[in-house]
Amino acid sequence: MRDDIHERALQLVDKRQVEGLSAEEHNGLEAHLESCAQCQKGALETERALRALRSAVPRFDVTLVLTTQMRARIRACELIENAARMRALWISCTLSWVLGVVSAPLLWWGFEWIGHRWAISRAVWMTGFALSWVAPAVVAAAVIAWRQARGSSVTEPR
Amino acid sequence: MGLATCWFMSTVEREAGEVARGLRRRDPSLIDDLIQQYQYRLFRYLLMLTGSREEAEDLFQETWIRVLEKGHQYQQRWKFETWLFTIARHLAIDFIRRRQPQSLDALLQPTGANRPLELADTTSSSAFDQAFQGEEAASVATALRHLPPSYREVLTLRFHEDMELEEIARVVDSPLSTVKSRLYRGLAMLREWLKDISA
Repeated sequence: MRDDIHERALQLVDKRQVEGLSAEEHNGLEAHLESCAQCQKGALETERALRALRSAVPRFDVTLVLTTQMRARIRACELIENAARMRALWISCTLSWVLGVVSAPLLWWGFEWIGHRWAISRAVWMTGFALSWVAPAVVAAAVIAWRQARGSSVTEPR
Repeated sequence: MGLATCWFMSTVEREAGEVARGLRRRDPSLIDDLIQQYQYRLFRYLLMLTGSREEAEDLFQETWIRVLEKGHQYQQRWKFETWLFTIARHLAIDFIRRRQPQSLDALLQPTGANRPLELADTTSSSAFDQAFQGEEAASVATALRHLPPSYREVLTLRFHEDMELEEIARVVDSPLSTVKSRLYRGLAMLREWLKDISA
């Protein structure tokens, strides 16, 4: 029974450090510690362990901060440039899509007129119309793929 | 008391808001300031997590690059240090996975054959002995060498960073009960080791 009291007191010593005590637990513990040298020693050992842990300061290399700041600045510039490039790409894609949609009826009418004018079969002028829509995107995708392939071969030294 | 708490909370929120806006802009001077402000704390956390000075230095740099890249995801209702340590921890886990592929469960187990977050050979005398300075650096280094990394991690978050238990649970992505049990066991082990060393 006595051992239980001491064990409980030492649990409360740890609890005080880890999650805090209620007023009742705090008063009970303080009263016990005043009358028990063994638990008082246990409490002091816990405090000493935490003091030692807190006093351990890592040796810090100042150049690490400077190097990190330099790397972060370079990466920030890259990200800002990439963001600007992506914004321009999105704007041009949106504009291109809007213009495409707006001009589609005109383009259709134009192809139809040419088909009638030179007696071209319906399948041919419709294919021409479809190609006029798809070709720019195919060319743009091919250029982007080619540039990326070229870029990765340049940035892969190993 | 209520007014003081309100003032403090609004100041913290305002600062977090400034950090969030700066990170979205990828403001280099803000990053410089944050690196300066959190240098010791982040490095100490990584050192405790990895047990290796070299790994901690590498992860320190990578963490700040990741902060820059993922800055737009930071929200001002989060405490910056909680977010920072979470990023650092994920990077450390990714780093270990690349070196020794295993499940996340195995990485997070505090004991067993696959010791979690164990990057360096912490049984050697070099890992912490060379890393710490202070009055009791040698004995603390010896004691820390014998603690599992997941215990060292929660001890540093609680007693160096003074984080609330809920915040620690968020950083280590574990239930509150797990955090508490690691803290109690870690504290007991630390106390025993320091007692043995001084005896």
